[in-house]
Amino acid sequence: MDDVLERPRPQPATPTLDPAEEESSGSEDGGLDWTKLPKVGAVRPVIPKRGEKDFEPAAGGGSGLQAHVLDRARAAMFDALKADRAISSKSASYGIWCPQISRVHVTVARGIHFSAMGHSAARPTSIDNGSTKLQKRLELLPEEALYLIERGALFCWKDIQTDLTGLDDIEGAPMSVQQAFAEIIGKEDLTLEKYQVFAYLRRLGYVVTRTDPPSPSYPVPPPRVGSAPLSFYQRLSSIFSLFTASVLRFLRGSNNWWRPLGISRWIHHDKSYGKVFKSLRVIPAGHSVAPHSSRATPVAPSSPYKIFYNMYKPSTNFRKTIPPQPDFQVVVVNARTAFVPSLYELTELFNVLPEIPPPLPRKRGAPSVVQSSPVAVASPVHTSTFKHIFSWLLPSSTPQPVTSQPRPHPFAALKAGKKNIVIAAVDSGNISFFRFSQGAFEEWPTL
Amino acid sequence: MTQPILLRVSNFKAYVWDVDDINILRSHHHICGILTGTLPHLSSQNIFLGLPLQLMPEEAVLLVENGIAVLVDDPSAHHIPSQSALKLWKEARLNDIRQQIALTEEKGSIEASNPDRAMSESAKRKRKEREERRARAMANAAPGVPAEDNPSPHPTSENPSQAIIGEAPDSTIVMPSGSYTVNIPASSSKLEWYVPHSNASLTIAREAGIWLYPSTLQERARCGVFRDLWEKGYYMGGGIKFGGEYLVYPGDPLRYHSHFVASVIEAPDAALRPMEIVAHGRLGTGTKKAHLLCEWNDETRVVSYLSVEWAGFG
Repeated sequence: MDDVLERPRPQPATPTLDPAEEESSGSEDGGLDWTKLPKVGAVRPVIPKRGEKDFEPAAGGGSGLQAHVLDRARAAMFDALKADRAISSKSASYGIWCPQISRVHVTVARGIHFSAMGHSAARPTSIDNGSTKLQKRLELLPEEALYLIERGALFCWKDIQTDLTGLDDIEGAPMSVQQAFAEIIGKEDLTLEKYQVFAYLRRLGYVVTRTDPPSPSYPVPPPRVGSAPLSFYQRLSSIFSLFTASVLRFLRGSNNWWRPLGISRWIHHDKSYGKVFKSLRVIPAGHSVAPHSSRATPVAPSSPYKIFYNMYKPSTNFRKTIPPQPDFQVVVVNARTAFVPSLYELTELFNVLPEIPPPLPRKRGAPSVVQSSPVAVASPVHTSTFKHIFSWLLPSSTPQPVTSQPRPHPFAALKAGKKNIVIAAVDSGNISFFRFSQGAFEEWPTL
Repeated sequence: MTQPILLRVSNFKAYVWDVDDINILRSHHHICGILTGTLPHLSSQNIFLGLPLQLMPEEAVLLVENGIAVLVDDPSAHHIPSQSALKLWKEARLNDIRQQIALTEEKGSIEASNPDRAMSESAKRKRKEREERRARAMANAAPGVPAEDNPSPHPTSENPSQAIIGEAPDSTIVMPSGSYTVNIPASSSKLEWYVPHSNASLTIAREAGIWLYPSTLQERARCGVFRDLWEKGYYMGGGIKFGGEYLVYPGDPLRYHSHFVASVIEAPDAALRPMEIVAHGRLGTGTKKAHLLCEWNDETRVVSYLSVEWAGFG
């Protein structure tokens, strides 16, 4: 749901947005109306809409009108395909493709793309007097380079062992996009499927990096602080939350003060529904125990289910030298050869993934704070001061049952799961994204 | 077709890079492929994509078997250019840059002369004035050169916005300082050092190690079913998002909806679970398509079809 809102848009949506039409653009069978594509060279590019389609051609190869409309659609499509990759010399970047190391050495870096792509690596560079020295330089991974070439932002030379004296600024053989496709894919674990997923996500504005660094100089997110010692502040707040929870329970009056004296307790002996259901849960649940397998290694080493990309939303503050923890992690498989992941493969994936907090309900309209605490009705002044103190004492990350922080909805939390993996299945150019998540039913009992 | 279409193969994938070839494949042979590249002028969306056209392996196999296309090993077709070739390329580029700069200086802006824009009366008048001015400037700049158009050797000069004018008089400038347009060519066909070597049949391509499809029973079944539907005149697209192997269209997918989702069954005696039929029927109803079960018989090389639809009683 949120993804729709976060999809980047170059300009605000037009007010005439038809919901039905919007929906049809999600399905692959909607008509691609190339005639609505802005002409090459139009001043402001807009994202074109899909058009209408007919059921079938009229008998005998289609009516005259159908033939005309089809010709128009095809002509528009081929016009769009013939567009040149033309960039101003002032904004063009240049690079040299070095097949031996599978990197593009960027010699001129211009434009916003390099804020999310490229890393610096030390390479031996020959200096004038013949000796070599380790020098840092900006390098692009194969998929990054190909994407920039394809987009028309990077002019790439191919490193060739030819004497280039007297050729001024020519740094190798000039590469066409076709040559880049032929030579760059297949290097450094990059398959066409992986490239297509990379380009798809980059075109939408996501930042995509490799999960496994292809070389030591490639920046990766810092290791997760899973079992790291808690900071002083966190410890303090956890003590406080224990304390405040009991105080609040007292204030809310959820404790039945007459309970120890009530005689029914001795007769029925804790027969509330919640307690009964709890005692009935005899089968262990949850993902703390790995699924049993008769084989020693249930996941073959050749399994395609390996995390390949880290993915960041466009809104994430991304710094390429110190990348933060990724928003999503992506597995890319070839839909023609891969099967649906086995439970073992999924378990192996989830073992390395972090737990994500349950989604908080979205606020609707004005935030209504009062509804959660019945005490507020009785003594409003008293609670407001309390709330003030608590909000100051407690960081928002600790669970606060009663304060203004809303509780996550159990069904939303179940749907989102605790761990998430995105699997992109590519069938000869057709990309489908799937999200697999590890649910937590044992943590959200309905009673 | 006299000349077979060249399918550029790398990493066992077949691409088409020439727009005219894509047109022929689509219009004459009803083979669509799937566009997979970024459109350079609309690079922030995924609905409309650009070159290259990626072919499904079944499509490539069919085209080669029918003699419509041949396979080219693309990585080895790009040779290392000789120094003289590079020199020629550089000269052509310098010429192009100089022309562009001269043009820009005279006209102010290249975009303004875009022939695709709708021409109002005033725009036409302005354009005429500009052309007159340019002609005058050209006559002044190069009095020796006749003012007729001489085609530039540079491949990108076919863009009409970069109309040809005489060479700038000062040929000693090595790298012009003004702003110009850098073109990244899409196809390699116009590069002098691109020498494609065609593999006329699948056997040759297999021996050369550039193409292996179809090599299993499943792949043979897919090719067989694809060919049979294609010979019946249908257009096929990928059907993975509809629970099958292909979407079967009665006409060009640009204009018509598909009627069937086809799934390939490798052998006539292959087991089919009732749940699959239910799922196909349900999905077909939801997407207004009938599901086609296509059984491939590897011995007789015949396809038999069964379609599944909800009967809709009650």
